[in-house]
Amino acid sequence: MSFLIDEGKHIQHLLMGNEAIVRGALEAGVNVATGYPGTPSSEVIEAFSKVARERNLYVEWSTNEKVATEVAAAASFAGLRSMCVMKQNGVNVASDFLLHLASSGTRGGMLVVTCDDPGALSSVNEGESRLFARLLEIPLLEPGDFQETKDIIPWAYDLSEKLGIVVMLRSVTRLSHASGNVRFGPLPGKAARAKFSYHGPLLDPETGPVISMIPARPEPTHGRQQEKLKSAQEMFESCPFNTYTGPAEPELLIITSSICSLYSREAVTILGLEKRVGVLKLATTWPLPPKLLTKHLASTKKVLFVEEVAPTLEDHVKVIAAESMSEIGATTFYGKKSGHVPSVGELNPDIVISALSRLCDVPHQPVPPEFAREAKLLADRYSPARGISFCPGCPHRASFWSITGALQLDARQGFVCGDIGCYALAAFPTGFSTNKTLHSMGSGSGIASGFGKLRQFGMDQPVVAVCGDSTFFHAAMPALANAIHHRSPFTLVLMDNRGTAMTGFQPHPGSPTDVLGDPAPALDIEKICVSMGAKVEVSDPFDLAKTRKKLNRLLESTEGAKVLILRQACALSPERRSRKKYEITVDEDRCRGENCGCNRICTRIFGCPGLIWDREKKVSRIDDIICTACGVCPDICPAGAIIKKEVS
Amino acid sequence: MKNFGAVRLVDSVIQAGLCCGCGACINLCPYFQSYRGKTAALFPCNLETGRCFAYCPKVELDPDALSRFLFKQPYDGSPLGTVRSIHISHAGAKVKRQAFQSGGTVSALVYFALRSKRIRGAVLTGRDGFLPVPSRVTRPADVLRQSLSKYAAAPTLSALNKAVAEGCRDLGVVATPCQAAAVAQMRSNPMEDPSFTDPTALVIGLFCTWALDFRRFEAFLAERVPLPDIVKIDIPPPPASVLEVYLKEGKREFPLDEIRALVPEACLYCPDMTAEFADVSVGVLEGRPGMNTLIVRTERGEEMVREARRLGYLELDDLPDENREHLMWAAANKKKRAILQCRETGRLNGEEGAACLRLSKETVERILSQGKETSSCHS
Repeated sequence: MSFLIDEGKHIQHLLMGNEAIVRGALEAGVNVATGYPGTPSSEVIEAFSKVARERNLYVEWSTNEKVATEVAAAASFAGLRSMCVMKQNGVNVASDFLLHLASSGTRGGMLVVTCDDPGALSSVNEGESRLFARLLEIPLLEPGDFQETKDIIPWAYDLSEKLGIVVMLRSVTRLSHASGNVRFGPLPGKAARAKFSYHGPLLDPETGPVISMIPARPEPTHGRQQEKLKSAQEMFESCPFNTYTGPAEPELLIITSSICSLYSREAVTILGLEKRVGVLKLATTWPLPPKLLTKHLASTKKVLFVEEVAPTLEDHVKVIAAESMSEIGATTFYGKKSGHVPSVGELNPDIVISALSRLCDVPHQPVPPEFAREAKLLADRYSPARGISFCPGCPHRASFWSITGALQLDARQGFVCGDIGCYALAAFPTGFSTNKTLHSMGSGSGIASGFGKLRQFGMDQPVVAVCGDSTFFHAAMPALANAIHHRSPFTLVLMDNRGTAMTGFQPHPGSPTDVLGDPAPALDIEKICVSMGAKVEVSDPFDLAKTRKKLNRLLESTEGAKVLILRQACALSPERRSRKKYEITVDEDRCRGENCGCNRICTRIFGCPGLIWDREKKVSRIDDIICTACGVCPDICPAGAIIKKEVS
Repeated sequence: MKNFGAVRLVDSVIQAGLCCGCGACINLCPYFQSYRGKTAALFPCNLETGRCFAYCPKVELDPDALSRFLFKQPYDGSPLGTVRSIHISHAGAKVKRQAFQSGGTVSALVYFALRSKRIRGAVLTGRDGFLPVPSRVTRPADVLRQSLSKYAAAPTLSALNKAVAEGCRDLGVVATPCQAAAVAQMRSNPMEDPSFTDPTALVIGLFCTWALDFRRFEAFLAERVPLPDIVKIDIPPPPASVLEVYLKEGKREFPLDEIRALVPEACLYCPDMTAEFADVSVGVLEGRPGMNTLIVRTERGEEMVREARRLGYLELDDLPDENREHLMWAAANKKKRAILQCRETGRLNGEEGAACLRLSKETVERILSQGKETSSCHS
């Protein structure tokens, strides 16, 4: 049984932020939780799945974030409490439906949880989802620590139900993935009954149909939505999660939210500025509570905004400051616009310390310069230069080996439109720098569909798109349908590694089990593509010769969209990790090393981390510890020096 | 000759559109491969020098060095290169009569060389469907199955490299002029490998005015005839000026002017019509279908021809002066056109690692004073 459903007095656990979200939702009596995997959000649904049976929850990994939001909305319409969870990019996907949902209103409490990734540690961008709250006109909450993450959720559900509107809750990587002590509250009973009422009048929020807007009449729904937002603003004036620490009249006021409030407190403490600097930590960041802010702005002449990614608080507070100019008097604002806080990447206590030490004229030397010099010297000398890389035995390395080879042999300057998944790394040397575009989920196929139609303008470069099995269901299918219907002659290489591998093997509609591990109908990707009308080939990416041959044939065909499914499980998957199929060794006498005729193709180009270049002996070696014995490198070696022996 | 590596080869030859697809850089390493008539570098190799560059006939070709190596005499730019003797020839009675392109001299010589164990294997150009492909034969009878002209460039030398890597020696090679130049460079051991031995025992050159880009040629024909029905392709001597495509039923003719548009750029830079760096060179004989012109260039070529004739594999006759003059005129014109093309594009004695040809000033002047600027000639 998961500790997340521990009950009793004075229970305290060390929880990840994402687990605190789950405990908070359980204490609020959540019934339905949905999501699409994406770092740093994935642990939320995984933790829900572990308590789903005991707590009578419905939990699913949905096909994409829009569907996840729709499934959660249905629960709300039927009077249940629901949550849909995604990373920041997922909000973009869900936003179309969210705009409608904000307008139609909700019944049972509904939270959309977004875990943003400042610094894009596990993302292709550091998109800012807070701005969506303003765009969608829905309330936004940002808890500032682990306890508060748990505590704010029941409050958020009450808010959602009181106003009949979906509420956004935003976390960030360092809150979702770091851990802190959380005191548990009581869990409610499990009884919940779902029923969708629609017999009432058209615009009745509790009993009528749930519709987003009456054409050409925005007043009833949009007007009502704005009223809700106004009520939220009033509630936010006294929200217990907006806190202030510091002197009554600080010399400098830090306005911050989320994990940055911890960085701010730490910086103030380290610099000993507790008596000079105040920290206003806001949990209700859209709409901002103007009275609370005016009160604090009036107490100081200098304000520093500490927040990651977009200057969201900074911009919105400045509007309030302008509106209450007469009360707050002359105030100077510091933050991203003044250059005191960087406008890209994650923040950390050091960055806040450096801003504070400048503004408060407190000298601070985080690291003695001679130590910093020495540390850099040692790091440069002893840490090997390592590029970002596919794992040892990754099928993507083999797939891109064949894709690159096929495109080079084809010799018409063909290229690959990349997509979201581990294979996005093929923009770099680990995938032989083959991907030439990279955008959002499914966009590789959409862009490729477009490139394929440029023949009438003289473009004869063959176009390949790649996507994984999960990405295929998420967003590539509409693009493929488009390409097939419009006879766009591109080749989709569908790299089926049996799960949403990059985020930790979450199931998708093509998987034989669901999030709880129960058997589920697995949609057959090959049959789907065939019935959509694509010419479909299947190959094992570890069979390099066959894969490349098939790919070259597909590239030469100018007739519409083609699909090459490359099936091979992820090297980290349980089925691959459990045993080594071969014993791989290097015959040192045969290894051509750096000589003309090889020039270290295995370690210099193929670059599997399981292959080591022995500088002394000038031969390649196998790192038995990490080699997964995929058996591909023997086929790369031109000298037959890498030998595979089947393990009985 | 200055040697460079794969990076310069890709830049100066492949990317520059000068690759003739001869296959000299293929099967030496995992980087270069041929696919449907085109040579590609699959992945980058950053060695500063390599056999790929050294063997390539399209970059840093030094005919004088090759001539001194093969013939022990300087290269003077004369139209037919080094000539010991020149003949009319055709396959002798010992060779089964069949559908040769013309006189069957090449097939007869390879057949004889294999039967007499002068060579233990031969690298030829065969065909996979419509695609010319390298082919290695060891049995004399197999030679006769490969006997028709292909007209599109083939990576024949990739089969030579493969055979050499497998340890084969005493090999025969049937090579176009560019391929013969590549083989000569290979035989000169440009990487100065101490363990190197010459793997060839016989290089038979083929006369060539130009070849066709396989992919463009295939696309051209595919639009006009059913490819699987093609039995033979021929370019009869002037004044016909057509390409003949023999089908299972009937024959189609296409004007040569249309066909010339399919010649790869590489051929415009080629100064060699008669495969000057071979042991013997063979071409058609104008005006006499069923006969070849045979040029003997080296001692080992001479010995082979003499014995082949003595034992009835080859028939020889004297080449009339008129034919010889016409051949020289055509070869001189090709040389001159190529020199002008190289000079205009900065590839005659140009930048190291990018120049096609290295020739002395005197040789260039001699070539330019020979023949007449004309485009009407082909053979």
